[in-house]
Amino acid sequence: MTEALLETRDVHVSFPGRKGTVARAVDGVDLEVRAGEVLALVGESGCGKTTLARTILGLERPVRGEVRFRGAPLAYDNASLRRYRRQVQMVFQDPSGSLNPRQTIYEAVAEGLRIQKVEGDEAARVADALARAGLRPAERFMPLYPYEVSGGQRQRVVIAGAMVLQPELLVADEPVSSLDASVRGEILQLMLRLVQDTGVAILVVTHDLGLAWNIADRVAVMYLGRIVEQGTTEELLDDPRHPYTRALLSVVPEIERMTPQILQGEAPDPTRIPSGCRFHPRCPLVSSGETERLGIEARCVGDDPILHGVADAAAGSGHVAACHAVG
Amino acid sequence: MSAAPQPAAPLLSVRDLHVTYRSQTGGVPAVRGVSFDLAAGETLGLAGESGCGKSTMAGALLRLLPRGTTVTGQVLLAGEDVLTMKPGRLRAVRWTEASIVFQGALHTLNPVHRIGRQMAEPIQVHDAAIGAREARRRIEELLEVVGLPARRADDYPHQLSGGQRQRVLIALALACNPRLLIADEPTTALDVMVQAQVLQLLEDLQKELGLAVIFITHDLSTLSSACRRLAIMYAGRIVEDGPSREVFREAAHPYTEALSAAFPIIGDPRFRMQPSGLGGDPPDPRQVPSGCPFHPRCPVAEPRCTTTDVELWPTGRPGHAAACVRVLDRGQS
Repeated sequence: MTEALLETRDVHVSFPGRKGTVARAVDGVDLEVRAGEVLALVGESGCGKTTLARTILGLERPVRGEVRFRGAPLAYDNASLRRYRRQVQMVFQDPSGSLNPRQTIYEAVAEGLRIQKVEGDEAARVADALARAGLRPAERFMPLYPYEVSGGQRQRVVIAGAMVLQPELLVADEPVSSLDASVRGEILQLMLRLVQDTGVAILVVTHDLGLAWNIADRVAVMYLGRIVEQGTTEELLDDPRHPYTRALLSVVPEIERMTPQILQGEAPDPTRIPSGCRFHPRCPLVSSGETERLGIEARCVGDDPILHGVADAAAGSGHVAACHAVG
Repeated sequence: MSAAPQPAAPLLSVRDLHVTYRSQTGGVPAVRGVSFDLAAGETLGLAGESGCGKSTMAGALLRLLPRGTTVTGQVLLAGEDVLTMKPGRLRAVRWTEASIVFQGALHTLNPVHRIGRQMAEPIQVHDAAIGAREARRRIEELLEVVGLPARRADDYPHQLSGGQRQRVLIALALACNPRLLIADEPTTALDVMVQAQVLQLLEDLQKELGLAVIFITHDLSTLSSACRRLAIMYAGRIVEDGPSREVFREAAHPYTEALSAAFPIIGDPRFRMQPSGLGGDPPDPRQVPSGCPFHPRCPVAEPRCTTTDVELWPTGRPGHAAACVRVLDRGQS
């Protein structure tokens, strides 16, 4: 077993909701990111995946549980967080929103070096980061402003700004969802190349299972604040066990071997997490009577399932699921 | 799955459509000669990168473009040219013959009016004889058609989720029984599962009401499963048109091929750890490259591509055409 680079242990994050309610956005997550791997965190909007990513970056503090980096729990004083961000960097969804329109590309990439007071040749580091991000010749891009380059190039600038500090972990929240399909592949290729060349690990938050198939070593599926299934990408996408993962996969247009299982309603409300298995009100196994036939319906409604290894999983796949119907 | 036998006159017939926007630095040709036919009840998917002209073309079909935009060619809707219609006729046609659903359901509805009131407006404007009670009945019926409970008519937009608002917009577009629905990125802002629900709804409507649908999005994989026919646009023109499975996975145009490869097939080893994209950027409409406008980005471009501009040409397979010199060669050999 490879040592975990980053680990969340029973992390809970909640926010005050309307009328005194509490939204349990992250509701007990154990997750680990290993050095040099790409882990995809997949789920619908409102499932808590972005909150979990923010918590991993130290932008939210867990109300319970802890985030550990290289075995040490995260400290939340300013100096520690600044040191931490040298190792863990973020790439946001919309490159236009994360770049300052009045800053040149050079300034945007150099900013992290200045905040971290990195010694040495700033210009050389910026040039190297831009070149690695595929913006060559770097000198041509340095004096330009964000509006002078295309959307795909802007996302490369954002990635260069994150990589200039040579972090060990990159957290990317929907890094390509605002980009055209043609550009998307190029950015994903870049991310894979960075992993190969620098050994950085990437936690990519996405709703897109195709993206996971394209770049991720492992996939974790999140539903209403919990990881409900996890495993290597091949194993999880070829042989999904949790009914939620199965439903998500069945509505991907290209997958014809599965009958589309369209769940009714939208992702439910984190201020009112259902009893028992949090998925049971939308679960196709419950509505089809399958759980009743199996005699487990009372457990689905009453017992909160925990992640357990699934039967007949491929060796080393680490395939786990939180479902009473999965053996 | 192949194209249905063509009836005598198509519902929509677009001929040599050109759209040029006005800008401070001169005209910007966004659509540069688009022609296609759409039969009643047919579903056409229209795809391409941002800036390829697909939304402009949709707007031109119902003359919904900014003042000062030059539109030439013909848009025959049930035989009548939309581009030369008098304003009164155009207003009628816009709801009763063809209607459009835009992306961004969150901003299209008026936040201070109840859903029912917003839906009553087009119904009563287009048929003055309809009383309030009759309009209400029609609204409830429409909401049920799109899978919403009739009582939602009393809600304000903020009380609905994104998916529900998108359903309201579709109901609104259906208010006056149009024969053609143009859906411009109707699911882009929605979640995967909600997106699947809305797509299912569009498919049911098309079957039950015999609606013709033009479905515009950059998401080729969604289109190929939702539409039988697919047209790909590049630099203001249609560069490939044909049965959707064929266009998506056995493309005749190198642009379509590159675009399709960006949508991985989950479980297919060819895509595993192999993200695929297309280098370069779409051309600036003010400086469209000579010859085939795709040649600077084309992986198989030849010297003659810089000078030869090819129009849509039959590939030899039924109902399938592409604008590439290689298709032309194959036809002649």
